Order: sequence, then structure tokens, then C-alpha cells
Amino acid sequence: MTEIFNAQGILKTFPGVKALEDVSVSLTRGSIHALLGENGAGKSTLIKVMTGVYRPDGGTMMLDGAEYEPQNTHDAIVKGIGVVHQERNLIPRFSIAENIFLEHLADQPLRRIDYPKLFQDAQRWLDLLEIDADPATPVDRLSVAKMQLVEIAKALSLNSKILMLDEPTASLTPHETDTLFGILRRLRDDGASLVFVSHKLEEVQEICDSVTVLRDGQNACESRRLDELGRQDIVRLMIGRSEMIPDWVARDRAEGQPVLELSNVSTKLGHKAVDLKVHKGEIVGLYGLVGAGRSELAKAVLGKFEITDGEVLVNGISAKINSVADAVGRYRIGYVSEDRKSEGLVLIHSVLENVGIPIWRRLSQFGGFLTNGTVRKHTVPFIQKLEVRTPSLEQQVGNLSGGNQQKISVAKWLAAEAQVLIIDEPSVGIDIKTKAYLHELIRELSDTGTAILLITSDMPEMIALADRIVVMNEYAVMGGFNNTRDYTEMSEGIMGLIQGDETAAA
Amino acid sequence: MGGPLRFLLSNEFGLIVLVLLFGILFSTLSPAFLSKFSLYALGRTSAVNIMIGFSMMVVIITGGLNLSVGAIGVGAAMFGGWLMQAFGMPWVPGVIGGLAMGAALGALNGVIIVRSGLHSFIITLATMSIFFGVMIYLTRAESYREISPAFTSYGRMKILGVISPLLLVTFAVAIMLSVLFRFTALGREMLVAGANARAAEISGIRVNRMITYCHMLSGILAGVAGLMLVSRTGAAIPSMAGQLGQDWLLPAFLGPVLGGTLLTGGRLSVLGTLLGSFLVTMLTTGLLLMQVGAFWIQTYLGLLLLAAVLIDLARRSYLERRKLL
Repeated sequence: MTEIFNAQGILKTFPGVKALEDVSVSLTRGSIHALLGENGAGKSTLIKVMTGVYRPDGGTMMLDGAEYEPQNTHDAIVKGIGVVHQERNLIPRFSIAENIFLEHLADQPLRRIDYPKLFQDAQRWLDLLEIDADPATPVDRLSVAKMQLVEIAKALSLNSKILMLDEPTASLTPHETDTLFGILRRLRDDGASLVFVSHKLEEVQEICDSVTVLRDGQNACESRRLDELGRQDIVRLMIGRSEMIPDWVARDRAEGQPVLELSNVSTKLGHKAVDLKVHKGEIVGLYGLVGAGRSELAKAVLGKFEITDGEVLVNGISAKINSVADAVGRYRIGYVSEDRKSEGLVLIHSVLENVGIPIWRRLSQFGGFLTNGTVRKHTVPFIQKLEVRTPSLEQQVGNLSGGNQQKISVAKWLAAEAQVLIIDEPSVGIDIKTKAYLHELIRELSDTGTAILLITSDMPEMIALADRIVVMNEYAVMGGFNNTRDYTEMSEGIMGLIQGDETAAA
Repeated sequence: MGGPLRFLLSNEFGLIVLVLLFGILFSTLSPAFLSKFSLYALGRTSAVNIMIGFSMMVVIITGGLNLSVGAIGVGAAMFGGWLMQAFGMPWVPGVIGGLAMGAALGALNGVIIVRSGLHSFIITLATMSIFFGVMIYLTRAESYREISPAFTSYGRMKILGVISPLLLVTFAVAIMLSVLFRFTALGREMLVAGANARAAEISGIRVNRMITYCHMLSGILAGVAGLMLVSRTGAAIPSMAGQLGQDWLLPAFLGPVLGGTLLTGGRLSVLGTLLGSFLVTMLTTGLLLMQVGAFWIQTYLGLLLLAAVLIDLARRSYLERRKLL
């Protein structure tokens, strides 16, 4: 097999973070290559570098024997790298044919479009991809699966040498997925080079030939043949080794009245009969692959999504949570978001403003009046305790580093004296030192009695911190066990539960 | 980073410099500019324009806008006028009634926006027509002229011969707004809801309620502006803000935008809006005194807006590079 694309030593840095460091990938003709990694591992950054969205800060790329340095996304398409994005990029009211040939509807901008010819050309692509539809149909009348195929037709019509598919099956039914895979296999056999990005490992194993795994912005493996790797091997490559686990003793804090209890909770989003207990001073780790419904469950507890069945109990009493304001104000449940830039913090406001938000109401006197002095008194101790490095309290949070931003989003809930703290992927985009510090802090926080629900896809983090591990998959709890802090035993137990293998949970 | 230098680089300071510059320019070119009457008229007009700017500002902080400020202002003024004429009410309950009407119309905007999830642009464009149309129907497009004399004489008073008492109202409102957004939980929550609705919600703020409050406050402030006009002219006139209240739109946007209120929401400057609206009013008055044609005035105002935002952009990127912001 001949190589068509090769990237060597790709480096991409953003202020404060090395998103990609010395990353290499090699693609061959007539193969389907999997690109894997957990959230924040650098997958999407790599895709953006390959498709001309970002310019790499170092490294070289070769495409079809020539140096490849895309200046922008259009340039990448012209040179032969096409992408089918996770989010739809079709124009709803336009016909299938118009969408496929959107980039070159006519030879010149003001030339009349030759519709009969356009439809004829489109029909060829529809036949090739076995899409049963009239080229003149507006794409918004198509099923999601057919839209996906139209996007693939569009990318192929641009003479793509490499076609990247970002989570192409995310919104397809199993049957539609099978059809898509049949087509992808045929394209491969015709000599196409495809890159397949997915979180569904079984799909990757079914359709891909080789795999590159990224972890923390680096190659965990580069272009290895998939037939020599088992599922466990891939998972281990994705989530890392056991070395980073601090030497803490295992604890059992599951005693007495749970502070937060979910009893038979189902939600509109599809959670099925979820049971979960978090006790005072306990860290319960909620493990699952991306898309398992963990953050969504957290937000349902917070009152952002509707709970259709079952109930949430706080300190043993059924909680009436109709909005996040209820959860925060009445039940003191805090949530540290995985998406701190858009959900955790107000980037254009100052450090002091951000940390004080949940307690302004409580601190105000004489019918709502509030002074900075009062806010300072109740927030600065926590800002100092967390060693937030900022030139001043008036500094805009958006100007601080990722680690300091994360400290602020935690400090906010310390100041709010949360009795339950839900922490979602706390170490995404954070340097190792701050990560270790945050781990110590979370542990310390649980010692002061806060009930903590830790959501993470980072296996070492999970085993370092959790007292009890609960595994979720496809919006349901698969099971749980106490953390013995034995890495191999725990990671195998977790993977066993994800695969639905009950015996491994013992 | 010292406080004084920070102020010198601020938007507000830039506006003060511009006000002084144009003040000197106009008074040398046209001696009538500094006459008692001219200054009095300038203060009186600014008072209303600043209030209109405030009315828009408190909605811009939500990342939205309120095209119906004029329609609400006139509606509130007409309602207040009707209460005074039809029931012979004294001015205090009349004014309270008018402001209540402003608050109700603003709150209605807010509720529709929050419930529908549509952008305030389209909703307030629609309510602008609706509010104005209903007002014209109910009043049969006639003015209310039997306004409480105590009220109208206030608008015509001259303090020390040059200061319009309407300016005092504006300053009082400016102080109240500053206190609201700086020293109350409510005002801060309104700003956070506007800056980042998702983060605000997760932090336990009732975002929809805050956005509704912002629109309600906008309605009240529009009502204040409308009633100030009633007090000044001695009558509630349906056409006092032009067709559909559109005459208010330019001052409504110019003040906050020149004053540094962020169009994407979450940040405002009461002093900036005050200075911005004042600058615009001063330019209009000055150019009129110099007998520049009305169409040129519009052109100059447009140029001023463009120049101001470009200068502000340069200032911001300078501050950002130095991490002073």
C-alpha cells in the first residue's frame, strides 16, 4: 500500500496550552484510518490543522508526494482534503444537486447555471452512493442519513484525495450505519483514503484498518494496524497508564444518610431508571465514554433538564428543583462545568465578579444592596486558598490561563458553600501541575464534608480520586464498585461494565 | 497599573476630551453657542436624549436591543396625559400611571422575547408597530393638553437662568442606575445574565427573569423620557417621537454605543452613555447654530459614530495587548 498523506512532528500551541506536540500520522491509499482520543486529546485540533483552519506552529505535512501547507479551508479542499463535519453543513432550502456542487455551480460567478447538466452530474454521485432521491429535492426533505451521504457526495465531488469523517454515525440508526459502512468499504476498495473519527469503539473495530490514538496532545500510538490491537488495548492507549495515581489510601465513606440521592430517575433526554447515592464527604466517580449521558444527568439534577420519573433526594428529603436557581439557592448544589469558557465563567467579567455570582443574593442587605467589601470578605479567602494567580481581583477572567480559570470556577462553589459539588471533567485543557493540585483540593474538599460527584473520562484521575466508581453507558447506570486503587483491577472492572459484562464487575 | 493612567485610557475620558474640543470649536465659530438660551436648550434636549440612551442601554446589556423605545415612551406619556386630562389627576399619580404603562409594555416585550426565544430585534420591531398603532387608535391621534400646571411649569423652569430641571431628573436616574448595576445583587445579576446566559444559569441566576427585568426597566426609562417631553412642551402629543417613535432610535443607539456599552451584552457604562448622548446633542445643537443643513447633521452624526467605534477598537486592542483591560 502506498502512502498518500504524512504528517511529522506537528506542533500547535495556544496561549498556555500545547494542543499538539510532536504528533505524526500516516495515511495510505485504499484504507480507513481511525483517529481516536478522549475529549481534549487534540483530535479536533489535528483535524483543523489538516483542513487548513489552523496553521501548525511546527512540523511538516506531505500530501501525495508534495509538501502540503494549506493557507485556509478552501485551499485544503482544492488540494484534496475533504471533511464531513459532525454538524451539518448543507444549505437546507437548496436542492441536493446544488448542495453537492455548491463550490462550483458554474464556471464563472455570473454565468448561468446549467441545471439539466447539474442534475445529471449529481445523479452520478447519487448512484455511486446508492442514494435513492431526485437531485432536485431540497435537502431539508431528506432523512439525516441521506443528508450525511449527500455531504459525502459533496466532499467526493471535489476530488478529495482524503476524506475525513467526523463522528459520521452520531445521528444514524444501526441500519443506516450499516448502509454507510457498506459505501465506505466500497470507496476504500476503489482506492480512497478515509479518516474515521468516532467514540464508538465497536464501529472503529468493524470498519477501520489502522489507528492513530492521541492523548494529551501527543501520539499514544501512530498508524498502527488495528488487527493487532484488542479493544482493551485501544482503551488503554486512549486513557493512559496508571503511573500518575498519587499514593492515597482507599476510603469507604458510603455511610449514613446520602446527601444526594437519585432514585429511579428518568429524563426527557433518555436516562433510564438511574439510581445514584453520594454521601457526606464521599467522592463518587461517574465514569463513561463521551456520549454516555453523564453531564446531561448532572444538568437534570440541577434542574436544567426535566426529570420525567423518579426523584432526587437531598439529605433524604425529596427535592423540588424546577430551575438551576433552586438547585443552587435552596439545595446548595454546585456544578463545575467541563466547558468553563462558555458555561463555567463570564470571561468578560473580573475575577471578583465571577467568584461572587452565586452568593450575591445571600450577601446583599437592606433589600438587595451589596458592596465590593462584603463580596471580597466572602470570596478572597477562597481565591487565596486556591492560589489563583492573577494580577488583581479586577482582572478579566478571559485573560487568565486555563488552570487559573478552572481554579476560579471551583472557588465560586467553595465561596457558595456547596454541600454537593458536581465536578465535570475538571482537568480538560489544564497543565499537569495544576491538575495534581486540583486533585489534592478535591480530596481535601471531601474531607471537609462536601459530597462530590466527579464526572471524568480520565481513568487515572478517576482511580486517583473516587471512593466509589459508578459506570454509565448509553444513559443508564451499568453498575458500580468501591475503588480499591488497584489500577489494573479497576480499569478492567470499568471496561467490563461498559461492555455489559457483569462478571467483571465483581 | 495606576488608577489615573487607566482613566486617561478610558472611553469616558475620550468622550470628555471630545465634548471639550467641540465646545471650544462651537463657541469660537458661533458666539451664540454660549448664550444663556442656547445652553439652556442644550441641557434640556440632552436631558431627554440621555434618558433615551439609558432606556436602550439597559437592554443592550442583555445582548439584545429595543426598537420600541420610542413607541413605549410615547405610549407611556400619552397614558399619563390621559390620566391627568380625563380624570383631572394631580401630576404625581399621573406620572406614576405613565411609568407603570412604560413598565408594563417593556415587561411585555421581555416576556415575549424570553418565552419565544426569538431575538429581541424582531419582537421589538413588531411591538413597536403594535404599541404605536394601538396608542393612535385609543387616542384617535389627538393630544392631551390639560396637563397639571405644576408638572408643565417644572419642565419650563430655569435654575440659575441656564439649568433645566430636567437635567436634575436625568442625573438622579443616572445615579440610581449606577447604584443598581454596581451595588445591588439584582443589577449585577442582570449584567451576568447578559454577559453569558449559560454560565449565569449554571451559577443559579434566573436568566429569563433578569432579561425580562431589563426590558421592563427599559420601558420605565422610556416612559421617563416621554413624560419629560410632556413636561417640557406642556402637552402629550402622539407625534412627539415621530412616526412609530422612530425619531428616538438614533439617539437611543448613539449614546450607549459611543459610551462603551458592549453590544454583545454584559458590560455598560452609565457615565459613558451620559457623555455620549450629551456629545451627540451638543453636536446637533452646535451644527444647527452654525446653520449647517439638517441633512449634513445626519451625515456628521453618522461619521462621528463610525469614527468613535473605530477609535474605540484601536484603544481596546492597545489595552488588550498590554493586558490592561
